[in-house]
Amino acid sequence: MALIEIENLSVIFNAKGREVRAVEGVSLSVEARESFGLVGESGSGKSTILRAICGLAPVSGGTIRLGGAPVARGKAFSRRVQMVFQDPYASLHPRHTLDRTLSEPLAIHGLGDADRRVMQALEDVGLPTSFRFRYPHQLSGGQRQRVAIARALMLEPEILLLDEPTSALDASVQAETLNLLSRLRDERGLTFLMVSHDLAVIDHMCDRVLVMQHGRAVEELSREALAGAQMKTAYARSLFEASADRMLG
Amino acid sequence: MTLTDWLRDPNPTSRRQAKLGQLWLGWLRLRRNPLAMAGLVIILLLLVLAAFAPWLATQDPITQNLQNRLMPPGTAGHWLGTDDFGRDIWSRIVFGARITLYIIALVAVTAPLIGMLVGTVAGYFGGWVDQVLMRITDIFLAFPRLILALALVAVLGPGIGNAVLAIALTAWPPYARVARAETLTVRHSDYIAAVRLQGAGAGRIIWGHIVPMCLPSVIIRVTLDMAGVILIAAGLGFLGLGAQPPLPEWGLMISAGRKYLFEQWWVATMPGLAIFIVSLGFNLLGDGLRDVLDPRSSGK
Repeated sequence: MALIEIENLSVIFNAKGREVRAVEGVSLSVEARESFGLVGESGSGKSTILRAICGLAPVSGGTIRLGGAPVARGKAFSRRVQMVFQDPYASLHPRHTLDRTLSEPLAIHGLGDADRRVMQALEDVGLPTSFRFRYPHQLSGGQRQRVAIARALMLEPEILLLDEPTSALDASVQAETLNLLSRLRDERGLTFLMVSHDLAVIDHMCDRVLVMQHGRAVEELSREALAGAQMKTAYARSLFEASADRMLG
Repeated sequence: MTLTDWLRDPNPTSRRQAKLGQLWLGWLRLRRNPLAMAGLVIILLLLVLAAFAPWLATQDPITQNLQNRLMPPGTAGHWLGTDDFGRDIWSRIVFGARITLYIIALVAVTAPLIGMLVGTVAGYFGGWVDQVLMRITDIFLAFPRLILALALVAVLGPGIGNAVLAIALTAWPPYARVARAETLTVRHSDYIAAVRLQGAGAGRIIWGHIVPMCLPSVIIRVTLDMAGVILIAAGLGFLGLGAQPPLPEWGLMISAGRKYLFEQWWVATMPGLAIFIVSLGFNLLGDGLRDVLDPRSSGK
């Protein structure tokens, strides 16, 4: 039984009487400790799937199951599933120190020993503990994304939803952040569901990938199929060709 | 290690040190702004006047002496002159500082708090909660402030306490509007989504995450509103519904001096100047505080 099972998921937004079908009939399943990628151009509905899992977007049809049971959002859900957002400049509270940001989830869940846990979390993501009382505006983009990752891991979830975690960062910082994520996954046995528009990033990180277009699933590829350029659909091939030069490295 | 070194340590070791260090940096930023410091000095002077009124006043502010009525400024023993009952204007202004401070303190605590609560709750929940709360706010805003305060005081009975209550009840709607607008801009931001995803309840999100974003604009509005609050309190006093004679309330003193404005100008002008200076002080400090309250502007 897969850890995350999504069946026939639809997300429909109502914007001023007009229906926007962001996701239509997408199914996927992610095994425990697997890293699963969602790839597609902007507006293909890949981030919306992550938001639907978290309850940040409405589920209009279909089912989402975690470990066989339908998702029930609440504190128990928060301890299993956390998310890293795309833009590290927007995902950290500008008036909270890192200490406050990182200890907030502990306070919500009544976990003690905040001092030690915050220090440990900073060390785990490779930030000096002396940064503890800094504000987000005193950090670089890559450092902020490390804080966002640390925050997502504070509750020791088993599933991490990654919404284009590196697209707001420049190339060298991108690689560092991806390596950090891979390391944390190995150390903690995390399950990743990762969204990206960049096949090179997906290729680096993911075991399997689902290609999406206009809110629908186009094709699912294994890592081997991706590396061997064995796509069946023209759209997946064109995406592959757009980033092929960077994937060989 | 000296105290300032400890405060300025870029890598504080405890929450308390970090907090105090932030306060210290804020103070340094405020100190670099001469206008804000001028405002602060004015407000500190007001506090000193209020605290040491019995020692700073040269005469009793209430005892009448009709032989000395309407003496001009500079008369021996009455360097700001006397009013129409022969009371020393300086002493009345000094004691009036207490009343002014009382009004300001009560209004500044209650009105923004009510307004911020209504505004953030309305903005965060949206939907019918927003509709109901904002329509109530609209009803309050539909009446001119002074008229509404008058109606409330007329119901509650005249007196300075009721006047303050009436002012607070009429002053909150603008704060609710400001807080709601700020809430709407941050409600859908990723950092709110992140804390919601951590399982935080609405109370924690509103109080811990949304209110800090609204606070600077609300505080600035408070300091800018203070002049208006003093004036409305004075207006209520003028109409016989606020502070009652012989209390040395500044607005009441102005309205008493109105009768003599052309011949004995000082009777109304001196308390008027006091209101002007205090209002100016609050405005200057408000401007300076806005810069300090935004940690992003802390580039040294």
